[in-house]
Amino acid sequence: MATAVTHYTSYKARPFTREQRDKTTILFGGLTWKHERLVQGVFNNLNYNAKPLPNIARADLDAGKELIDTGACCPTIFTTGSLVNFLKNEVAVNGKQKTLDDYVFLTAGACGPCRFGQYHESYEMALDGMGLKDFRLFLLAQDQLDQAPEKPGGLEINMHLSLGIVWAILVGDILTDMEYLTRPYEVTPGETDRVMKESADYLFEVFQQRPLRSNKYGMLAWHFLSGYFADALRVVRKKFDAIEVDRLQVKPKVKITGEFWLQTHEGDGNYNIKRWLEQEGSEVMPPPVAVWLGYLLHTPLWRLAAKPNVDRKIRMKMAMIRGMEKLYNGTYNRFRKAMGNVPHELPDQEELKQLASPFFHHELRGGEGHMLIGKALHAHLHKHANMTCELSPYSCMPNTMSQGAMANVLGRHPDLLYAPIEIKGDAEVHALSRCQMILTEAKKRSQSEFVEAMAKTGLTLEKIRQIEEKNPKVKKATYRIPHYGYASTAANYALHLASMRAN
Amino acid sequence: MWSTHQFWVAFLREIGISSENIVFSSDTSEEQGREFGKGRGTVDCCYPVKAMSGHYGELIFGQKNKLHIIMSPMIYSLPSFMRGHTSENLACTRVMAGPENIRAGFMKESDVFGDNGIKYAAPFVNMAEPEMVPKQMYDCLKDVFDIDMAETQRAVDAGYNALRVFNEKAQAETRKVLTWCARNSKPCVLVLGRPYHMDPGIGHEIEADLQAYGYPIVWLQYLPVDKDLLDWIFGEEVQAKKIRSPLDISDVWTSSNSSNTNEIMWGAKFGARFPWITCVLRLSSYECGMDQPTYTPTQKIVEAAGTLFFKFGDLDSTKPAGSIRIRIETIVHYLAKYSEKIMNQKLALLPPDCPLLLDKQEQSEKSLASVAGSD
Repeated sequence: MATAVTHYTSYKARPFTREQRDKTTILFGGLTWKHERLVQGVFNNLNYNAKPLPNIARADLDAGKELIDTGACCPTIFTTGSLVNFLKNEVAVNGKQKTLDDYVFLTAGACGPCRFGQYHESYEMALDGMGLKDFRLFLLAQDQLDQAPEKPGGLEINMHLSLGIVWAILVGDILTDMEYLTRPYEVTPGETDRVMKESADYLFEVFQQRPLRSNKYGMLAWHFLSGYFADALRVVRKKFDAIEVDRLQVKPKVKITGEFWLQTHEGDGNYNIKRWLEQEGSEVMPPPVAVWLGYLLHTPLWRLAAKPNVDRKIRMKMAMIRGMEKLYNGTYNRFRKAMGNVPHELPDQEELKQLASPFFHHELRGGEGHMLIGKALHAHLHKHANMTCELSPYSCMPNTMSQGAMANVLGRHPDLLYAPIEIKGDAEVHALSRCQMILTEAKKRSQSEFVEAMAKTGLTLEKIRQIEEKNPKVKKATYRIPHYGYASTAANYALHLASMRAN
Repeated sequence: MWSTHQFWVAFLREIGISSENIVFSSDTSEEQGREFGKGRGTVDCCYPVKAMSGHYGELIFGQKNKLHIIMSPMIYSLPSFMRGHTSENLACTRVMAGPENIRAGFMKESDVFGDNGIKYAAPFVNMAEPEMVPKQMYDCLKDVFDIDMAETQRAVDAGYNALRVFNEKAQAETRKVLTWCARNSKPCVLVLGRPYHMDPGIGHEIEADLQAYGYPIVWLQYLPVDKDLLDWIFGEEVQAKKIRSPLDISDVWTSSNSSNTNEIMWGAKFGARFPWITCVLRLSSYECGMDQPTYTPTQKIVEAAGTLFFKFGDLDSTKPAGSIRIRIETIVHYLAKYSEKIMNQKLALLPPDCPLLLDKQEQSEKSLASVAGSD
């Protein structure tokens, strides 16, 4: 009876078989080019052909808008458009069937109530609109390291792959942090970008050559215990050693927060705002993806603690999570240490929760939840940044809520410089000029900090320069400047040089 | 609140708050927003959340007798009839976090609640997991209402019981409407919207305008989920293993995390198959990020078997009365012209023995036969 009508069914990817693996390329994206390069190494390591999608461009916004329902947030539109433009080009060059056969797309899925967990619906709609409904798209759940099916397929989301991706993200974060700490102060323009390219290529090889263990628990233990990646980062450190920096340039420190994709992205998707901020004379604190992973790891503790009966079983689970967390943070700190402890520490998730708690409940899920408030306060109160720039997609559901709650935060911390930037993708001047207004104030703050720090040293700038010349190691990008209670690098640096003179 | 109000009322009554001391803010309206919410908004977002400023303001400034407590729960998950058939039953991220956002507008300069002698309470509740709720309510409300854990547990039980009774009654009423349509070969209209669209200031009573033309209206939230009816509609698909159960939506929606979205998708499936629903009215508010990815799938689901589909999107504070009237006239025209054809078409797709067409005697016999058969 019901066969007379074909009721609507959603997209189901046709199989990607083990036999097709050698001839098929896995497409992915959504991170920075550095992270993506390392993730590519992980795929290759497991004998997959993989390729990141080209970096997001303005044209992707138009392509995405054409094919998905109206009212989508800009990360959805950009990422859909990026896939669309890539496939359009492939179809034009190689034909439809070859494109369908040669590629599959892997994307992150599951994010509770936020639209991020439903991006794939937009991708599927776009594929349908392009007449490519047979194109294969797979979801990688962020909260499951082992999604291996019973029967091996073309793509096996198992512990080997997931651990590789997580470690690539951690190493990518360390590398990115080094980049943003160095470039604003480089003496030779372009030096940092050159070293970054070299380092990413080197680390790509490192991930590609990652030793494999057949047992998944053996693989897990190896990742936590081996010095393989820390050794590789020591090689990268040597490359950064060669970059000379001048940290007496007074620049405001701008912490970037926001919706996951927008804050991570480097390109047209967020008006290239990180580069723009550097061009405007600031130092940017990029958001490590590792904080998000730390949040995913930590939040089950709160959910377990909220259970009506916290019995022995639950306590055991909580102890296990805490143990994993220690290993995770320990691994990140090992990588930091390999880079001379120059990259920033990860914030403590409990502290972020406590800072945000008067303003935003920590169990409100979706997007970055309470973390946006926690991070802004963390940077402000610890004097890690002169201002926070929060990147929110137009119509982002979770971000608008915490952004609204920031009104309460600013009421109690009126000296917190906060620039919430709504990003639509096609209103660059408006967004950047809004950021500019707060940045002007941040510049004044960093100048005042420097004047105050110099006054504390009781030295002239010439004298400070002389100390610097006598200690050439301080001019290396890998030299760690201790924190003397100022947000801007120049103020801390001046005080540090003064302390060297005293010694 | 629109889908859980009975819970809250019963909870408060059980802890000793008398009915006359429980005050709901009035229906949303532009006037309410202007008079009580002006200057309190902290961010541009969907209207159902923006409108909350007016509600808070009305409760603080618009009461003849001053209130002592304002309770605005942060509902993390919802007690959906689809629980167990979907991945999760989460509330929309804006609905759950809305109270924090709106509260900020009343705290940014000074504590308006405190200044007016009002205690503000926003319990965070996983309503889809009843076992979690007593502790959550107790932790938040123990000092506000001076209650102990045992009282809280009793009040939560009373709340869930009241909600269940109300929902069952509403579902039974909807079944009566559907039965009447089936027995009289009359078409009816299904509203696919979120619970807050029942608020006349948010849904703008569009369905009432249509009802005025004589078409019965049913809301997806209160569609009957009786076994006999669902087996008739979805039984063949379950047998063919296209779906695991009549309430399974995995055939049309992969990420079944959001409770209201899940219900909308299922409602669309119901509307697509139930013969006497000849038209589906989709309501969606301005900037609703939960609805946005569902626009095309719901339309495709509904239209697959020929059911009429009309969407009123981007609903905001102002009721566009003129355009609504014109569209209602259009809908009425199509309903009158095509309903009979649609009903026959859809009836032909289903087994002959519709439970709504059987009288009580026949239903009882059928039920006995099915029990005997299963033995």
